[in-house]
Amino acid sequence: MSWPRDLHFVTSFNMRTNWIIVFSALAVTYSCKPKKIESDWNSGEANMAAYVAIGGSSTGGYMHDALTYEGQQNSLAAILGSQFEMVGGSPMVHPSVASSSIGWSLTGASVLELGFKTDCNGTTSLSPVRTGPTGDATVLNNIYSSTNRNFGIPFLSSLKLNDASYGDPMNGTHNPFFARMASSSSSSILTDLSATNMTFCSIQVGVDEVLEYARKGASAGSLAPVNGSAGSGFTGSIQELMDLVESKGAKAVVATIPDVMTMPYFTTIPYDGLDLDAESAESLNQIYNPIGINFVVGKNAFMIEDPNAGVFGVRQMVPGELLLLNVPLDSVKCYKMGSVFPLRDEFILTLDEQQEIRTAVEGYNESLVNMANSKGFAVVREDYFYKSFSAGMVYNGVSLNAQFVSGGAYSLDGLRLNPRGNALLANEYIRAINQKYNARIPYADPIKYKGIVFP
Amino acid sequence: MSIFRCASCYSTDMNATQLKKIFLMFLTSGICTTSFSQGYQVNFQGQKQQGMASAGTALPQDASTVFFNPGAASFLEKGSIEIAMTPVFGNTLFEEDSTGVTGRTNSPMGKPFSVYALLRNKKVEALSYGIGIYTPFGSTIQYEDGWVGRFALTRLELMSIFVQPTISYQLNDKLGIGAGFVYCIGKVNLQKDIPVIDQNGEYSHAELSASASGMGVNAGVYFKASEILSFGLTYRSKVTMGVADGTAEFTVPEALAPNFPNGSFSSELPLPQVITLGAAFMTNENLSIAADINYIGWSAYDTLAFDYVNNTESLEDTRSARNYENTFAFRLGGQYKVSDLLSVRLGLAYGMTPVQNGYVTPETPDADRISYTGGLSLNLHEHFDIDLSLLYTHVERWDHNLETNLTGKYTTNVVAPGFALRYKF
Repeated sequence: MSWPRDLHFVTSFNMRTNWIIVFSALAVTYSCKPKKIESDWNSGEANMAAYVAIGGSSTGGYMHDALTYEGQQNSLAAILGSQFEMVGGSPMVHPSVASSSIGWSLTGASVLELGFKTDCNGTTSLSPVRTGPTGDATVLNNIYSSTNRNFGIPFLSSLKLNDASYGDPMNGTHNPFFARMASSSSSSILTDLSATNMTFCSIQVGVDEVLEYARKGASAGSLAPVNGSAGSGFTGSIQELMDLVESKGAKAVVATIPDVMTMPYFTTIPYDGLDLDAESAESLNQIYNPIGINFVVGKNAFMIEDPNAGVFGVRQMVPGELLLLNVPLDSVKCYKMGSVFPLRDEFILTLDEQQEIRTAVEGYNESLVNMANSKGFAVVREDYFYKSFSAGMVYNGVSLNAQFVSGGAYSLDGLRLNPRGNALLANEYIRAINQKYNARIPYADPIKYKGIVFP
Repeated sequence: MSIFRCASCYSTDMNATQLKKIFLMFLTSGICTTSFSQGYQVNFQGQKQQGMASAGTALPQDASTVFFNPGAASFLEKGSIEIAMTPVFGNTLFEEDSTGVTGRTNSPMGKPFSVYALLRNKKVEALSYGIGIYTPFGSTIQYEDGWVGRFALTRLELMSIFVQPTISYQLNDKLGIGAGFVYCIGKVNLQKDIPVIDQNGEYSHAELSASASGMGVNAGVYFKASEILSFGLTYRSKVTMGVADGTAEFTVPEALAPNFPNGSFSSELPLPQVITLGAAFMTNENLSIAADINYIGWSAYDTLAFDYVNNTESLEDTRSARNYENTFAFRLGGQYKVSDLLSVRLGLAYGMTPVQNGYVTPETPDADRISYTGGLSLNLHEHFDIDLSLLYTHVERWDHNLETNLTGKYTTNVVAPGFALRYKF
């Protein structure tokens, strides 16, 4: 091999090659990265400058059976608020719990987390556990601020919207979660709402009161009648709220009420989850065969109390009946609850009770949709969303469904959505708003919001 | 087998310090990602051809003919040995429709390379032997941390190296045939996040890695109709890359470790057959035009399946529909000999995507594409020459993936400057 003339050529070749490398590196730097096209997000005919949220647990951020700072920051109102910021909304203001707080549930307990629990058989398994022995009562301290724009009130009842004692801690039927944000102990939700300068409002009223009835097995309290004036009927109460929103010149999105019985709280424990060996079946048969009830080895329907069931007022559950997550599982596993000792009404939704709830919700929804339409408000069909969600969905490669814990979207109380679930729901609101008001509000990214945290 | 190791070993073989330096510069300047070209096929197997949109089935010019048309190799008068490399700088941007959220790739530079040697038989003039080592499929795509499609894919590294010993025979003045046996080794590494978070808010992660191997053939016919017109037809068979014993590793919260047991998996990936018909037109001594049509058997890739040895309720075997379709690519290139020292080239290619609507994934954000190419050769010495090439392509694809529901637009830019060093004898 003979190289031309001398090394000089080699050096210049070398330099030329280096230049080529430099030029390709430059070409790469400038041409490589595709440019992002700026999106023309806008709020259309709606004005998101001052967004006010009125609603229940989801709106307020009650999840994992407690009100916490993290829950509030991932509430429906918070997620919607941050999306609205991209179309001219000002940052959302919540009646915030201290960020270090372990939260407060309706019963005074702390927030649930996923941990390990050992049951009466000594078996340890993943289970929701409380983060502390009791809740943080300072959550209930009144922190009224005129700038608050999140009126998400866990356990809200439509009939109480205009109740001036609803925020009065001295009143037996007050709501502690309204009391903590009320301007005074004699102000109603509507009075405080009317003091805001809302330009847009989300209305999610109804689901909490249905849940409150359903989660106790329809054994306590009652559902509001569909019709009736403000304070005594659902329709009149909501009408008054919508009139107020309209009088403020605000536009709104109104949510329908889902079929709560698709929630994991109602669907996790099978009605026929009484698993018997030969010995247990035999001893139960000695008790129940005389009244015509027979048990077999393997799966059996649980025994429940039912005043209408014959002389003894007990019977087995039938397919379609729901056994709720409030049932004390240790008592079922080790102390013969649901077999020798039939389950009480508060743990069961019978077919009749389910029908009662469904009929009421249908009435509420019809009323909500009619009223919203006549006001020209957007309607978000939460009922459709929950229904399709219970069949399962895949979001950006993530499988989500209505199963307890593993479904990924419900919080550990099995009733309220977790942050990711709230983001999915928030996107339904945005879809409705975009359609109604010719807006282009960006959807939230549910993946950015937490699902269930595992130990 | 690591590309890095081989790159340096080839440069030692060539015994040229400059070469080593160039390699090092390329290897350290990886600032953009690699991107696939038409599925996961990579059409960088010869620098002269790359300058002409990778056409050249009917235009034998150097030892890379071992790949482009084994039937034409025997028509080459000189033996040669060459090494070539094409650093691929690509960058993909994903823009999600609904949220406006974007995700970018930040993967390492692609490093397709080729090594060819072609020898004329000393006793039987019509016979040539050759060997080709090249990388016709695969590359690495890596998305930035926390990107919106993280549960579909965070990184895919796919590498295949084909080794092809070849024999080529010139039947007469006009007709040549040739065939090579292909042995392929490869590796694959696929990573994605699992939508389960631990106490620190970290997502879980899955990493599947495996080596694979496969076999195939590359056969061709070359017909030199006249001094100005020639034709070529080649068949490169499908190679199925089988994974018998891959490693699946899961980083999950302690409580879920039993649900995601580390262990073994099996899978396979087809590298599709390619049938190419080419024509070359030598208008005069200085100007040649080459045109190729590829027919690519992508329908072989209908499912990506992973079969885990240890199945649990959370870790089931997966079968993801890919449903690729057979496609064509059309390639047109021209070469002009400016002087004894310099030849220049231009090319234009149109490639159809095998990926149907509904099946675009972050692994292959693919679309129909036009590629623009250019190149030049410097005939520096009786025994030594150098080729340079450059490819640019811009790809846009909107899709709603039916499996993951990831919906948005992928935009990819690719710049691929390549070079070859050749010793002729």
